[in-house]
Amino acid sequence: MEITISNLQFSYPAGVHALRGISLEINSGEQVAIVGQNGAGKTTLVKHFNGLLQPTSGSVLIGDWDTTKYSVSKLARRVGYVFQNPDEQLFCKTVGEEVAFGPKNLGYDKARVESLAKDALAMTELSEKTETNPYDLSATWRKMVALASIIAMDTDIVIFDEPTTGQDAVNVARIAHVVKTLRERGKTVITITHDIDFCAENFERVIALSQGKVLLDGQANDVLGQEEILATTYVDPPQLTRLGKRLGFKQTVRNQEEFLTALKG
Amino acid sequence: MHERLSFYVHRESFLHHLNPLTKLTLVLGLILVAFMAPFYWTPHFLILFAIIPLGFLGRVAYQYFNAALKLILPAAGFLFIMQALFQPFEGQELFRFYFLHPTLESVMFAFSNATRIIVMVSSFTLLLLTTHPSELMSDLTRRGLPPQFAYVIISTLQILPQMQAKAQTIIAAQRSRGLDTDGSFVKRVGALVPLVGPLVFGSLVEVEERAIAIEARGFTSTHPKTSLREIPDSNLDRIIRWFLVVIVIVTVGLKIWLS
Repeated sequence: MEITISNLQFSYPAGVHALRGISLEINSGEQVAIVGQNGAGKTTLVKHFNGLLQPTSGSVLIGDWDTTKYSVSKLARRVGYVFQNPDEQLFCKTVGEEVAFGPKNLGYDKARVESLAKDALAMTELSEKTETNPYDLSATWRKMVALASIIAMDTDIVIFDEPTTGQDAVNVARIAHVVKTLRERGKTVITITHDIDFCAENFERVIALSQGKVLLDGQANDVLGQEEILATTYVDPPQLTRLGKRLGFKQTVRNQEEFLTALKG
Repeated sequence: MHERLSFYVHRESFLHHLNPLTKLTLVLGLILVAFMAPFYWTPHFLILFAIIPLGFLGRVAYQYFNAALKLILPAAGFLFIMQALFQPFEGQELFRFYFLHPTLESVMFAFSNATRIIVMVSSFTLLLLTTHPSELMSDLTRRGLPPQFAYVIISTLQILPQMQAKAQTIIAAQRSRGLDTDGSFVKRVGALVPLVGPLVFGSLVEVEERAIAIEARGFTSTHPKTSLREIPDSNLDRIIRWFLVVIVIVTVGLKIWLS
């Protein structure tokens, strides 16, 4: 399912002009990372994808649905949104119930809810913890519960808002695995992140926002290579990319394999 | 700082520049005079010649009349009706309707009580309109009010808007999971359940973190504390305060002497 954004403008009621004319196409099955300084409009932009915010002008289409014509709970069929703070989302007594809450809301039959929940729990390595109360888990695992509870909704588009913030390396690897699995299933994954290594290693397309506008948009290598432009929105390319540049590599590298290939070649 | 819950309206006015304690004395003075004065028309006189002029003096007349129309008058009106109908005063009966038989005396009594309530609530409204809560509290703390007490008041004023914002985020998170918050009453009540847990849990965590944070900055330290903001206390303030104390004493004296 593709996302079509045309000339999107948004102002908050208090008067902050957060989005100043954004046009984007995100195709079915793309893996997109959105980067940019704090206040660039990243969260404001993705909140338009599931109708939490309505455009001041311009439009957002999810497939053939105009987001102004569908409620948030309807759009939840097409777009899953994992909030930054899992504590604002979890309320059930057990992890199992929590993960089943979304698909139940969408009106799936019992067998489907069960199989979706089971699958999401397996993907996030929570299968052993089904009967645990989410609040007895550590913050990192609560994050995984939040991820699982959205994945279980089986939406075509999944949005993660800063999934790796405050997570250790093991859990970042788990989240990367989730992104990879979703890609293999043909889902569109959109991630807001300040974790540039996570962005470089897991996403094919990178969009850099600055002051409510698209600063850069393209293949990860092309975008992450533009060190000077990224600096204007306070984004540093990964260390390997910068090192590759200093070493005079012709092409931009963003992970160890690419770096080693360039070094040998 | 969140200020949505406080009534404070920022203006440059004589009333705004008075010391908070002076304004508090003024409020208590008005209330005591309204309740203690031995003359029937005192509270009415106070509304016309003290409360309303003070509203203009503080340049908050519009906000005051707004609060008066929406809040104070309906409450006082309700009190008036209840007391006029149900106070068991003997005297000249005005009319009889089943078991209700208000007398002239009960109506007079109710009218006087209602205006006293208006004076009381109005003067507090004026205080809140012209005094920032944290200014009031830091001035009172400087004069010896226990900081714990000030903290309870201030944190309540701050926590409520924060909880409101938090509730909004939680609602957004649950709607994103397909929770339908529109529709029938039963559906809406059912939709509240997923909100309460995160809200209460999050607020408890916040309270604890806040307690640790202020303790880390020496909240319970017994050393004398300095204040970033100097709150002026002029000679005029002192004169006004003593003047008000004298008026209250005279009123009490009159009350005792005339009764």
